This record gives sequence, C-alpha cells and structure tokens, in this order.
Amino acid sequence: MTQETRTIESTWDLTAYQFKIEADALNLFIKGTKDKKILGRKCHQCGTVYVPGPTYCRKCLIDIDQVVEVSQEGVLDAFTVNLADVRGIPVENPFITCTVKLDGSDSFLMGTLEGWTEWHSVREGMRVKVVWKDTTSGALADLSHFQLI
Amino acid sequence: MEKVALVGYKQTKHTFESPVARERIIYELVKSLYKDMGITKDDIDTFILASNDFTDGRTISEVFTVPRIGAYMKDETKVEADGLNAALYAYMRILSGLYNTALVIGFSMSGSEFRVPLTQAYTMDPAYERPRALINYYSAAALQAGAYMKKYRFTEEDLAALTVKNLENANNNPYSARKEPDASVDKVLGSKLLYTPIRQAHVSAYADGACAVVLSSKKMARKFTDKPVWIDGVGHLMDTYYIGDRDLLKMDSLAGAAKKAYKMAGIKNPRKEIDLAELHTNFASEEPVFTEAMGLFKPGSAKDVVKNGESRIGGSIPVNPSGGPLGANPVNATGLIRLAEASAQLRKEAGKNQIKGAKTAVVHAQDGPGAQSNTVFVIRR
Amino acid sequence: MKRNVAIISVGYNGRFVSKRPDVNIPELIQPAVTNALGKTRLKPEDIDAYVVGNMHTFEGVNQPHLWASEHFNGNMKPVMRIATGGTTGASVYQAAYYHVASGLYDVVMAIGWEKQDEGDSQVGLMGILLPEAFSLFHFGPDTSTDRGIAGLGGGGSTGGAAFQAMSYLAKANAGIEHIDRVAAMMRSNAAKNPYAHLQQPGCTEADIAKTPIISYPLRFGHTCPTSCGAIAMILVSEEKAKKFGLTDRIAWIKGLGSGTSDATTGNLIEGQITDPAEQQICKIVAKKVYSMAGIKDPKKDIQMAEVYSGFSHQDLMWPERLGLVEEGASPKMLDKGAFAIDGEIPINPSGGVTSTNAIGASAMVRVGEAALQVMGLAEGGHQVQRKIENVVAHGWGGLFQFVTVTVLGKTPVKS
Repeated sequence: MTQETRTIESTWDLTAYQFKIEADALNLFIKGTKDKKILGRKCHQCGTVYVPGPTYCRKCLIDIDQVVEVSQEGVLDAFTVNLADVRGIPVENPFITCTVKLDGSDSFLMGTLEGWTEWHSVREGMRVKVVWKDTTSGALADLSHFQLI
Repeated sequence: MEKVALVGYKQTKHTFESPVARERIIYELVKSLYKDMGITKDDIDTFILASNDFTDGRTISEVFTVPRIGAYMKDETKVEADGLNAALYAYMRILSGLYNTALVIGFSMSGSEFRVPLTQAYTMDPAYERPRALINYYSAAALQAGAYMKKYRFTEEDLAALTVKNLENANNNPYSARKEPDASVDKVLGSKLLYTPIRQAHVSAYADGACAVVLSSKKMARKFTDKPVWIDGVGHLMDTYYIGDRDLLKMDSLAGAAKKAYKMAGIKNPRKEIDLAELHTNFASEEPVFTEAMGLFKPGSAKDVVKNGESRIGGSIPVNPSGGPLGANPVNATGLIRLAEASAQLRKEAGKNQIKGAKTAVVHAQDGPGAQSNTVFVIRR
Repeated sequence: MKRNVAIISVGYNGRFVSKRPDVNIPELIQPAVTNALGKTRLKPEDIDAYVVGNMHTFEGVNQPHLWASEHFNGNMKPVMRIATGGTTGASVYQAAYYHVASGLYDVVMAIGWEKQDEGDSQVGLMGILLPEAFSLFHFGPDTSTDRGIAGLGGGGSTGGAAFQAMSYLAKANAGIEHIDRVAAMMRSNAAKNPYAHLQQPGCTEADIAKTPIISYPLRFGHTCPTSCGAIAMILVSEEKAKKFGLTDRIAWIKGLGSGTSDATTGNLIEGQITDPAEQQICKIVAKKVYSMAGIKDPKKDIQMAEVYSGFSHQDLMWPERLGLVEEGASPKMLDKGAFAIDGEIPINPSGGVTSTNAIGASAMVRVGEAALQVMGLAEGGHQVQRKIENVVAHGWGGLFQFVTVTVLGKTPVKS
C-alpha cells in the first residue's frame, strides 16, 4: 500500500481578530512613570498590592481603587541570564532579565538587571533599585532597568 | 440517582460591540450573579468555563479569564464547546457526589472581535472541504433548509413568518442584541440572499456577551433558592462529519439525544408534556427541522405550525420565546443562554415573554457544521 | 454514594515522533483507539461515550474531533471536547472519569493527541500572549533593543521557565548540574520506553551539559521536544469491571483533582502576584486528592510518580510540591538514585515530558503510564519492579498556573 501524502499550506490568522484589552492598570502605571513613581492598586479587603494595578482584586473578586505608591527599592526575586537567542545562537553580550519585588508591593515586576560584572555572582535576594531614563514621557520605557545596590 | 438543580442564572445584555473587554464582561456578570444569589465565590466548589481558543483568538484562552470568575487557587476546568456542554459536565461532577456546587460560564466576543464564518471555516477538514470551500455552516444550513422546504412545501413566506415570530420575541427580550421593531414578512423577504434559501434576516445575531449559571446538588439547592429548576434528563450525541453522509431532515444525533433526555425524564409524549423549547438555531430555517427531530411537532408540519401560531407564545409549544439566537448568539454562550431563558420561564421570571403555567422545558445546543453534535436537557420546576 | 472507576486499558498510536507526514489528524488518532480496544475484549459499540481533546490552535484545525469522529468510532455517540493547555490530556481523562462516576455511563474512552508537525507550535504558543503583548505597544515599551522587550516578557526565549528554574535552584540550594543530571536520567529512561520520542540510552550528565545554554540555568538539553502522538484510555465502572471479569491488571482511580492560580508568568498587564516556583496550587490540589484517596503520608503510601515537566528542573520541583519528598530534598534524592526506575521513589520511568511532548496527549500519558505501572504492563524495561500500591500522576499547564493530580492504585477506595 502506498502512503503518498500532500502538504497543504494554511495559517491561523491572528490578525483577523480585533482584541479589546483592559487599559486601567497600565494607564495608572505609566501615569506614575512620568513622574518617576511606581504606582499600583491596593485591595482594601486583603491588602494585596498589585503593580501594575488592575481595578479588581483577583483574590477577593472585588473592585479596588486605592492607588498606592510603592518603594523604588526591592528584592531580586528571580533572574535568568540570556546567553542565546531564540534559535540558540549565543549572544555577544549576555544580559540578565529578572523579576523584582519592590518593597510594599506583592507583585513581581519584570525588567533587565544591571550593576553586575560577573553573572555568576548574582544571587536571588540581593537588593535592587529602579533606574529611570533621564527624561520620562509616561511610557513603559521610562523605567530603564533595575540596578544592584 | 441524585438530583441536580439550577439555582441561579444570569446573562449580559448582549451587544454587537461591547464597550468593555471580555474579562470585564465576565467579571461583572459573575459578580452580579453571586450578589443576586447572596453567595460568594467560596460557595462554589468547581468552576467550568466554556470557550474556544479559535473564537477567542488565543491559545489556552482561559489563562486570563479564570481569575475573573473567582477561580484563583480553586478547582477549575474548561469545555471547548457550547456552554450547555459545560453545564452537562458540571451536572456530571455534581452527580458523582464529589461536588455540591458548580459555576458554569460561556462567553464570546463574536459580535466585534472576530468573524464567526472564519472560525467555522477552521473546523472544516484542511485537505478537502476547506480548500474547496463549498461546505460551510451557511451552505450546510441552506442545503437542509432547501430540502425541508421542497419536501414539505414550506414556502419562503412561511420561513419569513417564522423568522418574524422570533424577532418579535427578541424585541420583548431585554437581553437581545438584535431589535427590529419593524420586523415584517416583507422585510425578511427583501433581505439579502446569502445561500438560497438562506437570507441575511434568517441568520442568528452573532454578538458579544456571556451567560453564567450555578448548579447545585439537591441537598444544597434550597440553601440557594426557593425556586430550584431540576435537570431531569440529558442527552448528547455526535453525528458523522461529512454532510453528504447524514440525513439532514431526520437529524439522527438530535433525535437520539432528545429521546435519551426524554427517557431519563420519564417523558413519553413530548408533544403533550413539553411546555416550551429553547433551541440553539444558528439560522431560522433550522427551527422546523430541529423541533420535528425532537418530536415536538409532527414531521413536515411546519407550515401548519407557523400558520396556527403553535410555536408562538400562547401556542401549544412555544419555541424560542426569548427570540432565541436570532436575538443574540454569543458563540459558546448560546446554548447556555437557552438553559437560562427556559429556567426563567419555569421560574416565572421571563417578563413580557412569560408563558403561563410552564412547568417542563426542553433546551438544546449544537456544534459543528449542519448541527453535527447536539446536546439536549429536559428541565422542570 | 460514590462510584468507583477503573482504567482498564491504555493504548498508544505507536512511537511518538517529531514528524508524521504519512497521516492526518484522524489517522493519527485511530491506531491509539484500536490499540486500547485491542487490549480488551471490547468492541467499538461497547464504548458508551468519548471525551477528547488537543490544543487545536497548534494544528490549525478548530475542534478537529468533529472531523475525526469516524476515526474514533464517535458517530452517534456522546462526545465531549475538553482543552486546558498543557493539562489537556489529564482534564480530558478527568471528564471521562466524571462521565462514569456520575452514573450516566459505564464505559468511556478518553483520547488525547497532538500532531505538531501539522501546525506551527510557535504560532500556537505566541497565541497565548499575543493580544496582551500587542497591547503593550499602546503604552510605550522600549523597542530600541530586544532587551527592552525581553525585560517586559521576562525570561527571554524560554519564557518564565528560566525564572522558575533559578528560583527553584535557590530554594533547593541546588545547581545547574542537578538539572543536567535529572535531564540525563529522563532521556535514558525514555530509551526503555518504546513509545518515547527522544531516546538516548545511557545518556549522561556530561552529554546534557554539552548542549548550549539558552537562558541560564536552562539548556537545550533541558527542554522538551515537539512530538506527534495520540493516547486512548478506557475507563469503566466497578460493576462493569466485575462483569467483564477484570479484577487484576486494572488501575483504580482513587483520587483526582484540578486547580488554577493566576497566570504566574507573562502576566504583563495586571500584576503578577504568584511565585511560579512556589506552586501553592499544586500543594492545594495534591492535599485534596490524597485525602480522597485515603493517603495519609504520600512519602510512604505512594511508590512512584509521573510528573509533567516541560523543563527539566521541574522533574525536581514537582516531587517536592506533590509532597513525595521534603521541600528542597529532590537534588539529594536524585544524587542518591532515589528517582531512578529501581530507586525508592521512581520519577517518570517513562522518560517524562522532556523526552516526549505531544501537548494534548502529554498529561494523559502521565495518567496512562501511571496506570500501566499499576497494572504491571509498562513495556520495554521501564516497568518498576518494586511492589507498587499507589502511583501519582500530575499535569501542568496554562501560564504556569493549571495543575491536575491523580492517584491510581491496585485496590479501590472503599466508599
């Protein structure tokens, strides 16, 4: 019995959709970055502080609208050293992406980490701070990176 | 066997373009359902979503929706079909004795975020039917409608009158997306012809919206409501895929699913014992075929049914007194809405469309081209 | 009155491989169905209902069970479709359990599959976050370098898995060599499983350590392949099992459960509050399942596990979160050989997901492998020889948030 097959080209066209995404959390976040502040929302019931801060608490399932500013210093929670690109080709200058828990926040904020020379010496739990771009415009890019203290 | 009740239901006011994102739609809906029932998310043992990654345009589409229904750190799963199937799964979970309560939710943004025919086209087999593009959900329904009309001398005027019946019901339903106060036979007959004999006016109203229900075991039901609606019979069957292999007028899978649900509910004569039907019709022309396959009317009798108003509110078996999907068809929620609407009827909460003395209802959902897969519930007050 | 349910048969379509150009989706499924039936005396008409699932956006066919119905004998049968990401296979199997446990059906087949050569898995994966990621462009991200985007998305090319791995290593006081070691064990276990995809007999830690690092501490050798494959299982009620004369070589479902947290990685727009390495939801679900299964001390009462690990560090993390070993003890247990096929608590004798990953099948393969081990029918030398009473099977998916847990055993729980 022959097992001849043909290949048919077909795509799943994600551009055929018009997605609506809630903007409240990021609007508040970039309002803060313009003034070099980290803003989030706090649940008045359970006290969880979300950064960026959506208008509901996912633990309590209630509306929240208490805007809070959190510290610009915090703890390095997790990180990874980017040594290769998606195809596995080594990158010339390895860089570190990390999650940081800023003091007063319950969220893990993501970004890149600077202030190290030898990545083997970077440890979780190290203190880090936010570094801003010189001029801020109210955009995600205002937050340049996190820096080891 | 343990009994299971529907103890709460709620749907959104469906729209052709929701001003808010899907996450907000379901969050608001579920919250207000809990509020109406005087419960919290912690009263729910298991959460079952109905959605589809293609209609959502997202892989694993529930990743951002589960927290919006209160399922954070809770028991949760997803049925990838119409919400009535999710309700069926919830019913099974409660019957097993391992759960007492379940929240079921179906939703979609089929009014504004995507074109339904596109996601339907993705269900066609990619080697044969999809490239030929002859069979789609519209043409399958048109073949069925044409066959029925020819065989039983059901005219375009009759079909238009049936469409108007549904549109009038939809006008009186506060949740409908489609409102056509000036609906008339002439207007339907003047609407654009898509696939003969299907016209634009016969097509259901693909909309943005959601529906949620709470099911409960018998022992807990009275805690939530003094008006439980009992799920007394269920049936679901899938037919063969290729349209040419099916008898489009007999609809074996629907007939079989209905028969099973009737048997479970102890219904011997559906024509006498059923007080109303809420059917998942994607096209007005499906109504005569579905109702006859389900034994609600005599085969081929649609002409008389329409003429005598038997399927109207006040008729012998009102069909889609809510207006049905012709009023609003948020894909994935549509069958679940049928359950909510029929429950509203049995609980005397159906407003202007209320049927007097309704005690037993049959509810239906479909899936696949030409209603390949069918799910039927019999519910009683 | 709870109804006992047992798995009486597990069938695969054949060896899982990266490409199957000779078949389409329905044809891929069919042999698994035939195989599962063939191991019993059941005929297609004996199956009361089907529960099926895959991740259809990976293959480009919406609800492919509609198309495949004839190939799994689904015509004029009740068919339910379930899909929940990585946990799909286990969610399908759990729905099959409830079909029987509800009393509505007695004999139910669960089918999970993926044909990843048919579609573009990268598009499928991108589809998880694409709308959310696109939305970020409305809020002025730094697009001047790829670092800005990586910083937002987190974890670089392995996604949040690298964060989780790093976090795990810190918590367990372990190193990348432990991940290499467990990865090597899985590939060599896979060599003893005739259905596994990446089979490397005698694979060593050094072999894995040769593969390039993608995002420290994850290497290529720590990631899973994309496979094509299908699995079918038959579940029956206790009465039917007796009626069929089946008492031996069946696996009783003693406990099962599923749960979700929020998206613990890639939650770009509404704040990420759950630690992906903590996996509190896994602990919550496991606790519930053990109580249902009458298991007081999982460390003593469970003899083996099949866990879902898309990345090798998870083969160390899950045994801890499932309570099979103390928190932080996995690296030591691995070093002393406890996780090996002949060890005291074998983890993934099948080779696990890092050796074979046909997404919609993977979480069901964990349950199927657990069932085969309980039955004593695991083929090709990966059968655990020590006496097995209870096995735990685990599934994981979503954006690090879904968990499924099942306990199978030799004897049913008395109700």
